[in-house]
Amino acid sequence: MGRKVGIVGASVTPFKGRWVEKTYYALAQDAVRAAVQDAGIPIKEVEAVVYGIYNDIFQRTCIPEHALQGLIGMQNKFGLRVSNGGATGAYALSAAHAYVAAGRYDVMMVLGVEKATDCFDFLSMSATPEVIKTIGWSGDSFFEQPIGWTASDSYAEVVLAYMDTHPGDLKPEVTAQISALLSQQVKTNKFAQRQHDQVTPEEVLNSRIVVHPFKQLEICVYSEGAAAVIVAEEEKAKAIARNMGAPVVWITGVGESNEHSFAGKNQKIMNRIMSDYYAAQMAYKMAGIKNPLEDIQVVEVHDAFVHQLEITLAEMGFAQHGRCDALVEEGTIMPGGKLLVNPSGGLIYCGHAVGASNIMSAWSARNELVRRGLKRAAVHGTGSTVAQYGVVLVLENEAA
Amino acid sequence: MAKKVQKVIPNAAVPPAEGRTVTIEGENYLELNDAMHTFYRRSMGELSPFFLALRDDKKIIGAKCSKCGIVRVPPMAWFCPDCDFAPAKAVEVSDRGKMLFTPPITYFANSMFQEQVPFGRGRVVPDGADTGLSVNLYTTTGILVPGIFKKGTEVKLVFRNNRYGKITDIFGLPASELSEKQLAKKGLLESEIDWEAAVEPKMPAATKKAAAHFEKAFKNLKKVVDDLNKCERAKKDIEGWKRTILVKTPGGKFVIAIDNGDLSVKKGATTKQDFTMVANNLDTVLKGLAYEGSLTEAIMKADLWISKNIEFMTVFKLERMARSLARSRK
Repeated sequence: MGRKVGIVGASVTPFKGRWVEKTYYALAQDAVRAAVQDAGIPIKEVEAVVYGIYNDIFQRTCIPEHALQGLIGMQNKFGLRVSNGGATGAYALSAAHAYVAAGRYDVMMVLGVEKATDCFDFLSMSATPEVIKTIGWSGDSFFEQPIGWTASDSYAEVVLAYMDTHPGDLKPEVTAQISALLSQQVKTNKFAQRQHDQVTPEEVLNSRIVVHPFKQLEICVYSEGAAAVIVAEEEKAKAIARNMGAPVVWITGVGESNEHSFAGKNQKIMNRIMSDYYAAQMAYKMAGIKNPLEDIQVVEVHDAFVHQLEITLAEMGFAQHGRCDALVEEGTIMPGGKLLVNPSGGLIYCGHAVGASNIMSAWSARNELVRRGLKRAAVHGTGSTVAQYGVVLVLENEAA
Repeated sequence: MAKKVQKVIPNAAVPPAEGRTVTIEGENYLELNDAMHTFYRRSMGELSPFFLALRDDKKIIGAKCSKCGIVRVPPMAWFCPDCDFAPAKAVEVSDRGKMLFTPPITYFANSMFQEQVPFGRGRVVPDGADTGLSVNLYTTTGILVPGIFKKGTEVKLVFRNNRYGKITDIFGLPASELSEKQLAKKGLLESEIDWEAAVEPKMPAATKKAAAHFEKAFKNLKKVVDDLNKCERAKKDIEGWKRTILVKTPGGKFVIAIDNGDLSVKKGATTKQDFTMVANNLDTVLKGLAYEGSLTEAIMKADLWISKNIEFMTVFKLERMARSLARSRK
C-alpha cells in the first residue's frame, strides 16, 4: 500500500457556463494560486504535477498541458497528463496518490481544467450541440460515431438496460426529487454554475426529454473552470496541517476499473456499472471499510445523470439493485438521512468542467468532512462510453 | 450535369473568418471564429471485410472464435481475447435479430445529427451472433417514440441504396412493421420500404366553442410572449435565429415570428412560413412557452405536429426560452 497520503490544500475557480474573460491558462493558474494559498506553501515546495484535462478539442490544442507547466511555476519538474473521459479528475487523483505513496515525491499537485463551451455550432447558433459533438469524437470511431453516439445516449443505454431488468425502479418522481434535492444543496456552493437555480420536482418532470429517458433537469451541465488538490506524504502533511491549523484529510482507499465497451455475451454487462462496483470494492478493501452505509457519511458522486447516480450508489453499496429508489423513499440521501450525497450540488448543479469535475468533488468532500467534523467520505468518477470507467477514492478526516 | 459531390463538412456548418468584441463588466474581450480540422484517408484495416461486405454484398459478417465459438458482430477483433487470442474466422450472420436492450432515442442531437432527430441507436444481436451491433433505429410510422423498440423486439436490418462501406449503410426497423415477404428477403433495400409520408394531421371542423377558447388562450399566449421578449436571457436564446412558424389549432391560426432575439405572435395565417405546427389545442403551445409543459413531449404524444423534423432545433430554442424566463424570475 505504500506511504500514507493526505490532502493538505484544495481549491476551485468559479464554474461558469462560459469564461470569455479567461483562457484555460488563467483558469489553471487561478486554481493553483488558490491551492498553494490554502496549503500555506510556496509553489517551489510542490515537486510534481498531474494534470486532469479531458478533451484536446475543447482546449483547441493537443498536449494542452505543456504551456501550463511554466505558467504554474512547475518548470523543470515532473508533469503528467491524465485523460480518461469523465473520470479524468478521479484518475488524476489516483495517479498522484500512487506517486506519493510509492515514495517518488513528497508533495504533489493535481490540477484539473477544462474550457468546453468555446465550441460553437454555427448551424443552430448555439454552443451545446457543438459541445456534444466534441464529446462525440470520444465514441467508437468505426461503429458508433457515424450513427450519432453521444455521452448521453451511451449512458442512457446502461440506464434503459437497468430499467429492463428492474422495471419498477428509477421512477420519474424519484429522479425528479433527487434533482430538486441537489438544487437545494448547491445553495451553499458559491463556486457553482447554478448556485441560485433551485428547481421543484414538478419542474424536473415537466422539463423536456433530451435523450430518452433523460430530461433536461436530470443531466449535468457543461461548465468551464479549474480545480486543484495538493497531496503530501505523512510527515509533510502533518507539518502543513500544524502550520495551517487544519486537519489532514487522508486518502485511505483508491480503486479503479475499466469495463468492456462492446455489449453482448462476454462483453459489458449493460444493466450494471461494474466499473463502479469493482472500483468501490477495491477502495473499500484498501480503506478497511466493511459496511459503506455505516462507515461513510459523505459521497461526492459523479452525477452525469440522476438515473446513473442512483445506479452508482447501488454499485457502491448504499442501495440494493432494483431498490435504488429507496435512497429517496426511505430517506437515505434526503435531509437528515444517513448519507450526504453531493453537498457541492454535484455536476448537475455545480457544473461539469470535465477534467476538473472530480477534483472539485474531492475539494467539496474534504471541506464537508472538516466543516461538519465527519469521519469518512467517498469521491467517485465515471467516464467513457456506457459508464465504462469507474474510480472511487475514500477520504478520512484525522480530526473526527 | 455535374454530379453533386457530398462534402465531408457541409458548407452551412463552416463559419466566416471573423471575430467580435465582447464587453463584460466594462472590459473588452476578443472572441474569434475558429476550427480544428483534419481530413483523413482512413484505413479500415482488419475491419475492411465487414465494411466491404455491407457495401458490396449486402451481408453482415462476424468473427467466430476457433476455440470458444463466440461470434462477435461487428468483428472488432480477429483474435479472441477470452481464449488467449485464439484466431477467429469470418462467418455470415442474419440480417434479422433482436434488441439486446431497450435503446435510447435522441431528440437533442450533436451538431452533425440535428437534421436526423429523433433517432434511435441501439444494439441488435443478429441471429447467429452473440454480441450487439450498434445501428440506427427508425420507424416507418412517423416520429420515433419510446415503446416501439424494447428489449427483445425483433428487428430487420435494412440496407441503404447508396452504400459507402460505413456502419450507416444499414439501419434497423421493427420486424412488426414489415411484411413476411420483406422480412424474408435477404439484403432488403431502403427503397423497398413503405415509409409513411409526413402528412399534415387533419383539423376538426372549427366550432364556436373552439373559436372562443382560441381567443382566450391567444390573449394568455400573447402575455407569455411579451414576458419572454422582455427577458434578456430568453432573448439571447434566439440570437441569430430567424423563423416564421404557422401554427394551426382547432380554434384558429396564428404566426410565431422569431427574428434575431425578438419573439412575436400574430393572429392569422401566412404563406411565408419556414415550417408549420399543428396543435390539438392552443394550450399545448401555451403550456410549452409558459414552462408548464414540454413541446418535445407534446410532439412525442402526437398533441403537436411539426412539418420538418429538423425544426426540432427551433422547438428546443422555444423551450430554452421558457426555461430562461423561469430561471431569471428566481
